[in-house]
Amino acid sequence: MISDIFIMSLDALRSHKIRTFLTIVGIIIGISSVIIVTTSGASVEKFIEDQWNVFDPTGMVVGTGSAEPIPQISFGKTVFTDKDVENLKNLPHVRDVAPVGIVPLKKISQKEGFLKWISMPGGSMFASSSAMLDVLSLKIKEGRIFEEGKKEILVTENMLNIFGEDKELKVGDEIYLQRLDGIPIKSKIVGIIKASEDFNILSQLTTPSILGPINPYYSTFFGSNVGKPLKRVTAYGMLYATASDKASIEIAKNEILDFLNSGNSDAINYKQKNVDFVVISQEYILDRVQQILNAVTMLITIIALVSLIVGGVGIANIMYATVTERTREIGTMMAIGAKRRYILQLFLFQSMIVGFLGGILGCILGGSGSVLVVSYLGSYVEQLASGAYTGKIFVVYSWEWFIISLFFGIVIGILAGILPARKAAKMDPVEALHYQ
Amino acid sequence: MLKDVAVDIQSVTKIYKTGKKEFKALNNVSLKIYNGDFLAFMGPSGSGKSTLMNLIGCLDRPSSGEIYIHGQSLSKLNDNQLAEIRSKEIGFVFQDFNLIPSMTALRNVILPMTLSGSPRSAREQNAMSLLKKVGLDNWAKHLPTELSGGEKQRVAIARAISNNPLIVLADEPTGNLDTKTGEQILKFLSSLNKEGKTILLVTHDSSLIKYTNRVINIKDGEISEKK
Repeated sequence: MISDIFIMSLDALRSHKIRTFLTIVGIIIGISSVIIVTTSGASVEKFIEDQWNVFDPTGMVVGTGSAEPIPQISFGKTVFTDKDVENLKNLPHVRDVAPVGIVPLKKISQKEGFLKWISMPGGSMFASSSAMLDVLSLKIKEGRIFEEGKKEILVTENMLNIFGEDKELKVGDEIYLQRLDGIPIKSKIVGIIKASEDFNILSQLTTPSILGPINPYYSTFFGSNVGKPLKRVTAYGMLYATASDKASIEIAKNEILDFLNSGNSDAINYKQKNVDFVVISQEYILDRVQQILNAVTMLITIIALVSLIVGGVGIANIMYATVTERTREIGTMMAIGAKRRYILQLFLFQSMIVGFLGGILGCILGGSGSVLVVSYLGSYVEQLASGAYTGKIFVVYSWEWFIISLFFGIVIGILAGILPARKAAKMDPVEALHYQ
Repeated sequence: MLKDVAVDIQSVTKIYKTGKKEFKALNNVSLKIYNGDFLAFMGPSGSGKSTLMNLIGCLDRPSSGEIYIHGQSLSKLNDNQLAEIRSKEIGFVFQDFNLIPSMTALRNVILPMTLSGSPRSAREQNAMSLLKKVGLDNWAKHLPTELSGGEKQRVAIARAISNNPLIVLADEPTGNLDTKTGEQILKFLSSLNKEGKTILLVTHDSSLIKYTNRVINIKDGEISEKK
């Protein structure tokens, strides 16, 4: 019996194709918006996660700035000394600490023959300890690590062709690094860093193309002599650190802050009174990004759900009109033996089918629409990065939202159908038969 | 030989209330209709003949009195049980045909069988043979809008008898048809009567009473038998 009623409901919808379609459109728009919003949210979230994957997962950045309300590091103030680095390394939950010495370069040159030079404008190089490789999860592909105090450098794979395809650099080659003070340092390439597999915005910023020891590249001319004049102290604006494991990130962070603030550190003497020590873990940044994304996704999802409810009101409206329009039919069906229950089911099925079809079509439209939206987001990010390689945004479907939306579509359909269907089932057959 | 009673109406009164006004549509009506009767209810509009048909057709309940259909009292039945009586014991033919516009002729004839829950396999075959009986088997797949008035009414008759009820109620079945087509419909109802069905006809066309064996006049809610 119930399957017969179902088929009759389908027939009724089929006999008003345009009306049915227009009613379904309301639901399609609602459902597909929800799908597009949640899919885009999930895709962007995955993209941002990938951006931060370059660090060791326990990695954190130590600097100065403001701790409240949102931790922020302001670069440029050099306060951390080598002694601080050593002390931080010895904290129980800290695995390693690398000083970050940024050395701006004017030119990178190679001697091609007698009095013949080939030069490239330089970016900047990183001067640090071997710990830098560990913190940034970098691998040496060929050669060895530099020795402190020697004019030895590591270069990344993608640096090798800077002087041209035919003049590929190799281990043992010597290049001249000209700093802003003008003096070129003749440096020997002792190793090649494997290019990061997760190539993205952050790896471009954080992976040094040239990495050398603090001495002679950083300490010689870049020192901080805040505090005691005449005494030259090497100091850094920023340190990279890792915790002993993922569970200890918070503990390590607190140990670092406690030490720096304790008075046993040099940094406390060099920093200005109104700035704080700040430690930002990769985990913290990811959490923050996720929180913001979730909030945005939630907000837009709520708007999309409202449009779904509007679609539901549309169904209810059309069902009311249909019930009124078919009053005589309802009377006739009652006269030829339809129980009130059947009439109720007949109209409930119709609105349920509309909700279900709207749900299915909305999922299909939303699923394919997400591809367009995400690829648009991708080109937008590329535009923002203005040419720098950023990695790709892939479509990440959050399937639970497909199920939720489909379910919601059916529920909306049923809810929208209840009142009109009850109205139909409660009709007085005599009045219905004579309805004009 | 005493004929079996199909419909037994005992002291039935029907009062309609609109606001504070009361209107007595039927006043203490008693009537026995026997199996095989071809009975016409005649009377001016507003006389109460439609009210009486609605009560016999189990579409409405009397304010007082009792109606029995094949010996069963209707007053004790709930809505669902009344629907079942309508489905199995009574066939309806309306003045405006009242076919379901979104269904083909065949589906319209199948509908009562669907609603009564008769086996799916037999439905289509039954419906086709009924359409053949009314001469419309070639029109089975057509929608009501594609049929003439007389054809629609023949489909409606096929629908009315698809569950093989013993009683057929025809409320002004010729009201929307020309005289010639009306005669055809009456002849058809007459042949059903000869097959043993009890036909109750509401009409104000006195030329049709030649087909009937009993005529009941209704005026101001009261009845008198003529023929």
